[in-house]
This record gives sequence, C-alpha cells and structure tokens, in this order.
Amino acid sequence: MSDRMCPMEEEELIKLSKRGDLDCFNQLVERYQQQVYNLCLRMLDNTHDAEDVTQIAFISAFKGIDRFKGGNFRAWLFRIAANACRDQLRLLRRRPTSSLDALPLDLELEDRRAISPEQYAMNQELGEHIRRALAALPADQRLAIILRDIMGLDYEEIAQATASSLGTVKSRISRGRARLREHLKQYVELFP
Amino acid sequence: MWNFFPRDFVFIIREMFKRKRECKKLKGMLSPYIDGQLSPSEVKRVERHIEECNACRRELESLRAVVSLLHRVPMVALPRSFTIAARAPRRRPVALRALRVATAVTVLLLAFVVTGVALNFIGAGPAEDKALRQENAATYTPAGREALEAPDASDVQPEALNASESTWPVRSVELALIGVVVVLGGTTVILWQKRRRGEGLKRP
Repeated sequence: MSDRMCPMEEEELIKLSKRGDLDCFNQLVERYQQQVYNLCLRMLDNTHDAEDVTQIAFISAFKGIDRFKGGNFRAWLFRIAANACRDQLRLLRRRPTSSLDALPLDLELEDRRAISPEQYAMNQELGEHIRRALAALPADQRLAIILRDIMGLDYEEIAQATASSLGTVKSRISRGRARLREHLKQYVELFP
Repeated sequence: MWNFFPRDFVFIIREMFKRKRECKKLKGMLSPYIDGQLSPSEVKRVERHIEECNACRRELESLRAVVSLLHRVPMVALPRSFTIAARAPRRRPVALRALRVATAVTVLLLAFVVTGVALNFIGAGPAEDKALRQENAATYTPAGREALEAPDASDVQPEALNASESTWPVRSVELALIGVVVVLGGTTVILWQKRRRGEGLKRP
C-alpha cells in the first residue's frame, strides 16, 4: 500500500493510474463505486448481477484506462459500466433467472416519523411499482432515465456515457418518461 | 361553396387543427422543457401553448410528477468495496514448461528417425533390405568405393559392409525414443492435470 493518503486531484490520479498505479486507481474506484453500483443495480434489477458487473466494469476500466483521452471521467466510467450491463442483459436474455435477488425499492421520505403506517405501506408499494416500471423499459431508455433522473447527470454527460447524440438522449428520456407515466398512472395522480 | 359557412366557424376549425399540430410537435419538447434543455424561443413557444391547451398542461404536470417520483429513488448503500486487489505474481510453472519442451523435442527426433528410416536416409533397416544396404555401403563407404572400382565388384570387403551396419542401431534408437516420449508425455499430462485441479479449487 502506498503512503499517498491525502486526497489527490482526479487528473493526477488518472495520470498515475495510466502508469499502472493500482492504489491511485483504487482511489478513483472509492470515489465512484457507489454511483457505478447503483447504475448497475437499477439497470439489472438484481443485486448479485449488479455486484459482479460493477467489479467487471472497474477491472475493465483499469485495463483500458490508456484509452481514456481526457474529458469527463465519470461519464467514461458510466459508459464502461453501461456496456457491461448490456452484455449481462444479453446473457440473461439467453439464460433467464428468477428475480429473487431484486432489491426492494424504498422511496426516500422527507420525514419517516411523520407518516402513518398506511402511507408507509403505500410508499413501499409505489417503490415496487417504480422498480418494475423501470425494469420494463427498453435498455436504452432505462439507461437514459437512470442517468438523468436518479443519478442526476446532465444531457451532455449522458450523451458521453451512452455514446449518442444530444438529440437521441432527449428523445430517449422523453419516451422513457412517457412510458413510465403510463405504468405509474394511478400513482402519478396521487403524487402530483 | 365556403361562403355558406360563417367566417368564425372556419376560423375555429382552422385553429383547432393548428393546435392539434402544435400539440403533436410540442409533446417531445415537454420533457426537455422540464430539464431546462430548450432554447429561450422554444421555452416561450411551450409556455404559450400550455397556457391555452389543457391536455398538454395536464401532460406536463404528470411528467413532472414522474420526474419527482424518480428523484425519490434512493442511492443504495454498497454491499462491499469494489477496489481491485493487487494479484500476487503467479509462480511460473518452469518444470511443466521444460517437460513440455523436452517432450516436443523428443517427438520431433522420433519423427525424424522414423522418416529417415522409411526414406532410407538412415541405414540399418530390417534384414530383408540387406542387399540394398550392401549396395549402399558399396557406394558410400570408401572401402566399398574401392571395391567397386576394383576389376571384380563381387570381391567387396566384408569389413566395409559391417562398418555401415554397425553405425546406426536404428531399431534400438527408435524404441528408446518412444520410451522417452511416453515417460515425458505421461509426466507432463499428470502435472498439467494436477495444476488444473489446483486452479479450480482457487476459483471463488
């Protein structure tokens, strides 16, 4: 383990990672692992697959860091993770598995103590509906929606992460939201 | 013919179609409008339209509700760290590699000897080839050549014939090489199998 314990600039870490410094790359992993894991989890809707694919994505990123020519590192990482998710989804289509590993989606509440048990149960039910509605979206639209509405990326970053044009991103988000609205119609009326 | 319709009615119909067309065009702009991704002129166009069109206003509100629901999807805590562990340098299987090379060399040598015998490059084949070998010996050994050059070719010295026969005990060499190939190859296969089984156990 190196003695570099103080936080370094991202560019410096990337530069050293390109020279094969695993400790520096691991600092980058620590910065982005939660976002990458959450992206994989929402894309695959399965905790075990999400864990495996996240690890695969980071290993691929370390092996291919020489190909990173500057720009937005997070978008580059998300692109690798999204490609790994696509590969996994293709594999799952050939070898379908049960969704027992799907993690229940508990929506965030402003104040958990202030709500009644009925509201809490309703919240859980809504979370489950959102999870299923997301899983039912086509992969491209799901990726765009996750990156925009859950991870909070801007359109430019999404375009980089998905290797597509701004117009395509706009259209995928637009169509994805419209589909989700159809799936969540009853809840959308309850939660204006 | 159009004179029969009141002018206002025609105007209303035309406006209705115009609004329908505008609704269709603006549908794709509502989502970027929520995200602030439209140009100022497009924003004005959308706002003007939703002031007049109830259907599009409702659609915009429902889209906003979907977005706010998605914003409430939490970030899940990590089940473990995804940092990459430095792999210990693997011991190079030198013995196995050396054995494989030795087996390959011996096989090549054996193949060379067998081919040589078959094509008569190497002497001392089976006993029935004796006449041919005698002729070869007569041609290629100095004693044989002298005998050939002598007035009576049938007086070939017996030492000259025996010299060529005694140089290459081919059958023994072949058998020895086959033995070495079997021993080396067998050891290589056993070691390789052991290594594979060992790797299989280490896999998570």
